[in-house]
Amino acid sequence: MFENNDQLLPPLPAVVTEPTLEHMLRHFEVEQFLIEEAALLDQGKFQDWLALFAEDVRYWMPIRRTMTTKDTARQFTRPGQMAFIDDDHAMLAMRVRRLKTGYAWAEDPPSRVRRLVTNIRITAATEDEIEVHSNFYTHRVRLEKEEDTWVGHRQDRLRRVDGALKIRQRAIFIESTVLQSPNLSNFF
Amino acid sequence: MEPKAKNRFVDYLNIDDHTVDRVIFSGDELYKTEQKKIFARGWNFMCHESQIPKPGDFFLNYIGEESVIATRDRTGKLQVFLNSCRHRGNAVCRAEMGNARAFLCTYHGWTYGLDGKLTGVPGFRELYQEKINRDEWGLIPAGKVQSYRGFVFATMDPEAPDLEEYLGDVGRTGLNFIASQGDMVVVEGVQKNRLECNWKIVVDNTFDWYHAQISHASAFMSGAFPRSLPDDTANELLHPFGSKQQRVLFGDYGHAISGPRLTDAVWDGLQRIAARDESIVPSPVMNSLLWRLDPRAGEELGEIGTRSLGHPHIFPNLFVSTITNQVALRLPKGPNETELWWFTFVNKDWPDEVKAGAISLATRVFGPAGMLEQDDGENWEMSTSGTRGLIAREYPLNYQMDAETTNLTVPEVGAPYIDTLVNEHAQLWTYRAWADWMSAESWEELKQNHATPQDVFKSA
Ligand code: FES
Ligand SMILES: [Fe+2]
Repeated sequence: MFENNDQLLPPLPAVVTEPTLEHMLRHFEVEQFLIEEAALLDQGKFQDWLALFAEDVRYWMPIRRTMTTKDTARQFTRPGQMAFIDDDHAMLAMRVRRLKTGYAWAEDPPSRVRRLVTNIRITAATEDEIEVHSNFYTHRVRLEKEEDTWVGHRQDRLRRVDGALKIRQRAIFIESTVLQSPNLSNFF
Repeated sequence: MEPKAKNRFVDYLNIDDHTVDRVIFSGDELYKTEQKKIFARGWNFMCHESQIPKPGDFFLNYIGEESVIATRDRTGKLQVFLNSCRHRGNAVCRAEMGNARAFLCTYHGWTYGLDGKLTGVPGFRELYQEKINRDEWGLIPAGKVQSYRGFVFATMDPEAPDLEEYLGDVGRTGLNFIASQGDMVVVEGVQKNRLECNWKIVVDNTFDWYHAQISHASAFMSGAFPRSLPDDTANELLHPFGSKQQRVLFGDYGHAISGPRLTDAVWDGLQRIAARDESIVPSPVMNSLLWRLDPRAGEELGEIGTRSLGHPHIFPNLFVSTITNQVALRLPKGPNETELWWFTFVNKDWPDEVKAGAISLATRVFGPAGMLEQDDGENWEMSTSGTRGLIAREYPLNYQMDAETTNLTVPEVGAPYIDTLVNEHAQLWTYRAWADWMSAESWEELKQNHATPQDVFKSA
């Protein structure tokens, strides 16, 4: 009830999370992938980070609304409605380019950002694709004392391309309805 | 701590020298006065009718800092109430939108109808012995609730002029930029975020065609815009120093429209696109302007409005973004805090891919992650900080750009305007109106005593 069940992409077959070697290996690989991805962002290696996305990526952060229990299914805006972010690869690349212009004031001097990515859950998979959920706690410190925290959950569709995992789709579900940050100039 | 308050609000401005006292952007006492004399008295944007089409549909908003419910009663009538129970003051509505049959207070259970009437009091017989007069204890209603072409506004002051009169030519033209495109509806999802800045710093930016070349340099450099804007407008944004393409329109009570005009070249281009001239490849933004060629739109906007690409602002806090078909509310949350709420419009009859394109443009340009807006917030926050210091407050802010202009035109019909360079006239106009609002004790007085553009700007 508290998650968005919109399927942007056709669903994958569910996986049984048994402690089999196969599942553990897959889990280990995905977990390492997400942790390495967060490290690239924390280190400001945005170009390398961009390389983790499939060419046909959709990077989407819907708007959340405070609604009563009977309306919780409507709390997130749906694809095609307004969103905080709804990017394709070209748009993500533009954001990365922006940060390198020397004029991206919201991130210059650069913010110090630390991302905690946890509660990693693989829910569905095929040979080539994996559906993975993770929780994030992203804390940004800027200038002398500007601090912003974003907490939420991500639903990623990973795809294996030439042996390597790529992010085919990322949906970012934030807990805030009124963002308490002056902007969203960082990545999730 | 504030330095000694000025005797008259207009003394916070030096109109002859084109300067503004910093204290108006962070003074606590001034902020409190604004809540009463500007926000409670003025017409505040609530929502668009398309957001609450059915009886019981509601949308929470604010008048100043006070939570209000905008809803439709059983008869379909628009209603706005303070979101506060008459018993102990508790909120009677906590969801920001939805549909309700009644508003039930979760503290002791007083229940209010969609028309605001107190309909239920637990223990009415046993505890109140039926002595409480329920007719007297309904939700506190707005003084007036009206809508102009679907845009719903409310004022707490029953003495306020009717909405259409309040908006005047300039305010109505501002909303017509959206309404004249057809059956316009709000897209689901209002982006909301909070900034540590004064609301007037954000209002000021509505008219600021000077900042884009540096504030938004990264967006232009990374390729976000020029290809989608008419050439002249892109030029205007990037190199606003040479051209004389700006027009500022002044409306009573502080409304204004300021920004580039559609030049003859762009207008000619539009006509060629409409005539399917294949030598011109229309950009999405050019396409989005084609509706202005419609004679009915021309009639509604008038000669002056049709050719304006300026940013309308409806005093006190509603910005109409003409290129992205959005309106943005700047809600005061204390002298140093403001929430930005973005409402996005599409025409119900547009083909799906046109709607999707419009939604995508709005998402990518404005809002906290927007290529433009990302770089605005910190500037506004630090500008506000820069007005707090007691030393800094000894030094006013500068609004002297194009100060020597002497070509205010006052036409027989329609709004007074200035055609000129990039300028700060609309900002000064806003602050001049602010002083009038702050000085007047009533609507009666405000109607009698408010500046005209002739008082502030020189004519040829
Ligand atoms: S506060 Fe609302 S019923 Fe008591
Ligand atoms: Fe800006």
